Amino acid sequence: MSNDPEKSNFSKYGVYTVNENLELILPETMVKFERIGENVFSYSREDSEGNLSEKIIPTLSNSLTIELSPIRPLNHPAKRTNYMYLDFTSPIFLSEFVSATIFVTCPIEIGIFIIHDGHKDSLDWFTCNPVDSRFGLYGTPELGTLCKYVQSDIVQSYDDSTPFINGVMKINLKNELESGKSVSKSVFPLSDYSLYYKNNLVIFDTANIILKKKALVESTDVSSLKIDTDWTAAPSYERIQPSKRLNMGVD
Amino acid sequence: MVLDFLQSLADSEITGGLTLLSLLIGGLIMAVGVIVARIVRTLFTKYYAPKLSQDTAKNFGKLLYFGIIILAFLVFTSSTGVDLSGLVVAGGIFGIVIGFATQSVVSNLISGVFLMIEKPAKQGDSIELPDMNISGSLLDISTFSVRIRQFDGTIIRVPNESVFTANIRSLSSTTVRRVETVVGIAYKEDLDNAISVIRKEIHSSMPFVLSIPKPDFRIKELADSSVNIEILVWHPRDDWGEVSPKLLKVVKKALDDNGIEIPFPQRVIWDAKD
Repeated sequence: MSNDPEKSNFSKYGVYTVNENLELILPETMVKFERIGENVFSYSREDSEGNLSEKIIPTLSNSLTIELSPIRPLNHPAKRTNYMYLDFTSPIFLSEFVSATIFVTCPIEIGIFIIHDGHKDSLDWFTCNPVDSRFGLYGTPELGTLCKYVQSDIVQSYDDSTPFINGVMKINLKNELESGKSVSKSVFPLSDYSLYYKNNLVIFDTANIILKKKALVESTDVSSLKIDTDWTAAPSYERIQPSKRLNMGVD
Repeated sequence: MVLDFLQSLADSEITGGLTLLSLLIGGLIMAVGVIVARIVRTLFTKYYAPKLSQDTAKNFGKLLYFGIIILAFLVFTSSTGVDLSGLVVAGGIFGIVIGFATQSVVSNLISGVFLMIEKPAKQGDSIELPDMNISGSLLDISTFSVRIRQFDGTIIRVPNESVFTANIRSLSSTTVRRVETVVGIAYKEDLDNAISVIRKEIHSSMPFVLSIPKPDFRIKELADSSVNIEILVWHPRDDWGEVSPKLLKVVKKALDDNGIEIPFPQRVIWDAKD
């Protein structure tokens, strides 16, 4: 198993039909499907630390259809929140009444789904980058919001994601305030954002960040915007629960 | 024939105007009262309770149930013509006697009412009663006692009065909690290097430790044998078990892997003859 996710010998996202055996090679992770009997398959996943996850899958037919897909990074190490905290490695300075568009990286997890009768069942999920899958608190310990936390790089375009590690999100920034401000982070409910994949690249729905005055208080408004793309929409692993948008302050 | 039977019941007086017939009617009223109380409680539990918090629903259900039964009892006493005035006088004297005898019971009852009003914690919350060395998940606050499922799986019943007068520490009222531990390193070691290796190890092997706020390191004491470093880390409130019991192990591993000495107490003894 190679540790370099840029190498092209990794498996691709997409739908696979398993008749006998199937091996999916991902960074730090190996996934195997094997036929072990008539209409019965076994599933195993092994990570770089030797942790093994196994399941038996009885099927109605002689083959098994699965989908390897990116999912929202909300499940590792445990599902505790719907919120994502992107801490930009370089803050962006916006002069008054200025708009800008940037692309930032956002982590992903990997989901494996079984497809049958026209719908997709979640079989397993994992992360290929467990070390950077961490929590962070936005706000004070008394009143703050627990989020998944990551340091997010600013990149050039949608093509700059690292396969199986992260995807790219486009952010439209707008400063409606009468003075220049820095934007160093973005906190939002990730369940509002869909993921799309093509080959091994992943993109998210767009985020709109507007710095404005609400009732004389400067605040940052973050909202999602569906993108129109021919990339494949990734299925949802977790049950989508509505989460209210946070009232973010301004740096 | 039935009329004759009822007439015979009406004629058979037990005491002071109380006949068997009135007693029968009273019994029927009580039975209807209990049935109505149960139906009302069931309807309330099915249709309204889900919209309320568990504690409120449970207490309101009890209030409805016993309220209807007390109402039925009052109807029963008025229908049978039982004179309760003597009972009131006797009850006054009896109440004083009972009051002294059941002081703790009444105290628990009243404390229970105040606990239900004040609601220092709600059902399912993790709480700690430091004075009593009790911690666990609050199961319910009932008429006389509070039941807590301790973290070792046992259930402990604490009288309401004790809970009402005790300090209650809520372990689940905030999103995150902090864990602290202290480790000592030898005086010869580089403090910044030690902190750096501990920080890296915590980041790589403790996924439930929050990145923001960052783990905090404070020099706690220049002790006899070591420089003591206090380590403070935050974690999601439900993941105490993934952090607190493992933190010292991770810290020791970080120091061991990097050859940083954790000294044991040493004492130099000088012989007076020397």
